[in-house]
Amino acid sequence: MKATIIIASHNGCDLLARSVPAAVEASREAGGHPVVVADDGSTDDSIEFLCRTFPEVVVMALPRRGFGATCNRAVEAVETDAAVLLNNDVVVTPGFLQPLLEHLAQPDVFAVGCKFLNPEGSLTDALGNCTSGVWRGPLLSIRHETRAEPLDHTCPQLYANGGGMAFRPNRWRALGGFDPLYHPFYWEDVDIGYRAWGRGWRVLYEPASVVYHDQGSTMKRLHPAAHIELMSAKNAVLFTWKNLLNGRLFRRALAAQARWAADDVLIGGLPPRLRALQGALRQLPQACRARANEQRERLRSDEEIIALSSGGG
Amino acid sequence: MPPIDATGLLLTFARRGEDDAIRQALGRLRVEGAVSVISVGTPVSAPVLSELGCDEVIIYGDGRNARAAITDLRRRRLAMAALIYSDASYAGHLKLEVLALLSGAGWVQRIAPGASSAISRFSLAASVLAKGLSACALAVIGTVICTAAFVCLTLRQTAAGGRRAHRP
Repeated sequence: MKATIIIASHNGCDLLARSVPAAVEASREAGGHPVVVADDGSTDDSIEFLCRTFPEVVVMALPRRGFGATCNRAVEAVETDAAVLLNNDVVVTPGFLQPLLEHLAQPDVFAVGCKFLNPEGSLTDALGNCTSGVWRGPLLSIRHETRAEPLDHTCPQLYANGGGMAFRPNRWRALGGFDPLYHPFYWEDVDIGYRAWGRGWRVLYEPASVVYHDQGSTMKRLHPAAHIELMSAKNAVLFTWKNLLNGRLFRRALAAQARWAADDVLIGGLPPRLRALQGALRQLPQACRARANEQRERLRSDEEIIALSSGGG
Repeated sequence: MPPIDATGLLLTFARRGEDDAIRQALGRLRVEGAVSVISVGTPVSAPVLSELGCDEVIIYGDGRNARAAITDLRRRRLAMAALIYSDASYAGHLKLEVLALLSGAGWVQRIAPGASSAISRFSLAASVLAKGLSACALAVIGTVICTAAFVCLTLRQTAAGGRRAHRP
């Protein structure tokens, strides 16, 4: 199976200098797979650097649209049976590709996630491994496995971290790709994973596909921490509004979200939750359309999605 | 009336990165004459607080136990309290301020990154009142937003039908 390796990037010339050679080498070792850098309107030397240093890499110079839209544009152009999405701060290891592609040969697998290690090779606070979720309080509470032993086995997971995931482009397109509801960033990978489970497909974690991830290194230099937290909180709310179709759980979650706003005063030091709710409210028409679509397309209940995707925990 | 105990109360959410503030608060309480320092924490934060130098941690886990913790604090007739805030605006932290007020501590110190000051019981009561009203206002606005969202989203979901029954 041929795969297109897509590296999404914005103003990450120095990060590409580390991630692209590793991807090119892994591609060569696996028999030659196209490597594409989807550039999201960079204003640094990224494009010039790539053209000069890696002539074998295809560069898609796209206007600035944000992470999700850039990934969608890149996947639209994929002609291979599989695609691998990487962040520009992810450095792959030799042999990472084949274990991912083997799972995609199964008819019900939508995506497979890599094993993410910190740049120094540890699992401390590593995100995106054996992910699972539970509807608790106002939002979906996500758990990332960080213990070594459970991470030695392939297992189902709620979603594959968008920083290192392989998938079938035809299924990506059937799901509509990353939802622009989550512009500018965060929760789009959780959303597509949850929706894939809802359509009857599976998402897996593959420990043999090891990558090093300097988590959030791009985001931290582009946006202030408070803005990142606010966008993450807003999108967490929108995720609930769009995807939680179970009436009882939905009523309970929204009642908790109403109280959640007061926590800014009750406990302080958290992202301003009322602003997150206001931001979500501005996108309510979009969320309504997305929820209606989920209602039409969903084949599994929320309880089934959570239960089936928690196989690694 | 029993004598006022030379015990200091340390109140913090014990978040990540607050270790230095906790050490600073402990030092301040001891400078002010606290012979021992107690704190109120959860089963998760208690070991951290003990490790940093609190002599005793009263553990609470839910609303009922929080009430028991307040009763316990009042019984001890504490001399002083130190509150640790996340930032210099002294925003938020209504729960900790209520606890400091209800503990009956005669002297209260606010400790925040780059800003620390003593606060009188009257000012603390005023702060609790103002923040209580703010929390109520936020909860009301949150309820309005969530109710509007619930109605719109549920109506659209109902109208959409579905391949399989997921009735709202």
